[in-house]
Amino acid sequence: MPEAAERVGVATEVAEARAAARASGWLDRLRWFVASQPLGAAGALVVLVLILTALFAPALAPHGPKDAAFAPYLSPSAEFPMGTDHIGRDMLSRVIWGARLSLYVGLTAVLFGVTLGALWGVVTAYFGGVADSASQRVVDSLMALPPIVLALALMAALGQSVTNVIIALAILLVPTAARTLRSVALSIKEMPYVEAARAAGASEWRVIFRHVLPNSLSTYIVLFTVNIAYAIVVEAALAFLGLGAPPDEPSWGGMLTAGTQALETAPWMIFFPGLAISLTVFGLNLLGDSIRDLTDPRLRGGLG
Amino acid sequence: MLRYAARRFLLFVPSLLGASILIFVLLRLVPGDVAEILVYQAGAESSTVQQKHVQEIRAELGLDRPIAVQYLAWLGNALRGDFGHSYLQQRPVTEIVRERFPRSLELALLTLVVAVIWAVPLGVISAVRQNTWADHLVRLVSISGLSLPIFFTGVLILWALVRFFRWLPPLEFVSFFDDPAENLKQLVFPTLAQAYYISAPIMRLTRSQMLEVVRQDYVRTARAKGLADGAVIYRHALANSLLPVVTFVGWWGGRLLGGIVIMEIIFAVPGMGTALVQAVSNRDYPTVQAIVFVMALIFLTLNLLVDLLYGWLDPRIRYA
Repeated sequence: MPEAAERVGVATEVAEARAAARASGWLDRLRWFVASQPLGAAGALVVLVLILTALFAPALAPHGPKDAAFAPYLSPSAEFPMGTDHIGRDMLSRVIWGARLSLYVGLTAVLFGVTLGALWGVVTAYFGGVADSASQRVVDSLMALPPIVLALALMAALGQSVTNVIIALAILLVPTAARTLRSVALSIKEMPYVEAARAAGASEWRVIFRHVLPNSLSTYIVLFTVNIAYAIVVEAALAFLGLGAPPDEPSWGGMLTAGTQALETAPWMIFFPGLAISLTVFGLNLLGDSIRDLTDPRLRGGLG
Repeated sequence: MLRYAARRFLLFVPSLLGASILIFVLLRLVPGDVAEILVYQAGAESSTVQQKHVQEIRAELGLDRPIAVQYLAWLGNALRGDFGHSYLQQRPVTEIVRERFPRSLELALLTLVVAVIWAVPLGVISAVRQNTWADHLVRLVSISGLSLPIFFTGVLILWALVRFFRWLPPLEFVSFFDDPAENLKQLVFPTLAQAYYISAPIMRLTRSQMLEVVRQDYVRTARAKGLADGAVIYRHALANSLLPVVTFVGWWGGRLLGGIVIMEIIFAVPGMGTALVQAVSNRDYPTVQAIVFVMALIFLTLNLLVDLLYGWLDPRIRYA
């Protein structure tokens, strides 16, 4: 019985996928995405709001994120919808600017970290040999350190600044990306089309850039989307421990730390930044999950 | 099994050495070495007296030797249990580690036990009663647990304790051996906060594994020969679902250690995590290095144990 039900399920999926392939207008595609991935669509909406907030932060925020121009510990009111913090900065403005900081740090760290790791993994897998095993030992050593601990050690060496947080996060992401892309590249290397390209006389680097890399693109995209949420959380965690972005930067994690000093008098100082991080992570995870579903051929059903 | 264990152990040693080299080199890439930081702390202009002082400290700490020599000296001492002297606390780092390690270990073990005890049965219930309200509730709880960053959950719990129960993190840590009740009272909240966080993926994994396993032939056979539901679920289905859960726990060991650092800070537990954060913010490099080394050691040991357990439970792995 379950098999029959499964077959029906697959059949509808195939029908849906065919309908999607036929849908030409972007509106139809959007409608198909919302219908087939409702949770992913909800996540996309949250992410869209986040991106818009980050882009238009200067216009949206009523005050500057570092302007300590008001009375401290004002509770939420019409003038300050999220209250003010311990040195009299408008929390709403800081939370809005926090979106920009989180997204900036998350995106750049993932862009550098995952790309570097991916290239490293693909190139070493392709050439193999001593360089490959040596690089695997380096990856092992990096992975022997618990992520937060490695990040803390890197911050100890680099010193506190937003750029250094990005560097630390990027280094954190390199080993996993290298390992994942290496295993993907190892299987692509054995594909008939790679053999054909070599037989046709393509150079090693041409094979890597024209055949191996494009075919590992879907794994790269999944790693990219999944790790943005991770990078944002680790950034906030570092700031929370007081070792990430400097305290006057509008980092959601740093705002939480300031809030823990005044739990009873000003609980709004933890609620709003905490909710901002949670919502962001939730949205990014939902979107990441559905992107993974869509790019995983086993889950996609006969689109190919 | 012995050959498998030996082969697995051979991977353990280079990883640990690699990690220690990495941290050692990293902490020496700091612009302005430790000697300068120590001398110029006051922020005064550099004078010839100070420069001489810097040279003296460098010689004393052996910072003027080549980095490879410094590393080997450090490693030699570390293997004999000597991690050098803490700049901040003015005592041997080994002493700090020995004092803090049991506390963090206790917190980690409590967290793991609580998480498994409550996540595995809930995952089983959720799978056995698939698509009922119980299943939906369990899945909702686990998804919320995954989305809330651990430091936010921790701070929320602390806020609720302060707001409604006037509870504040204790100033003095009481050892389990001195006063077990008081000790557990201190650790119960950080344990629950982190267990909630790591139980979410355990629950989800148990559920999906169970759903897969209950559709296997041997489960149908067990049922067909007239075994009671309970026996089928626990003896046949659960035993076969737990394998991935075991690896997963090892896999998440890194996050568990990271979470311990955060929990210790929020709930004022003077463990390894608190010591690490203090050492990092004060640039107390010998302490940073020792704690990172010990944490890598724990993390790798955990992975080794999980791999051995996995090989022991599943013969296909050890002969691969």
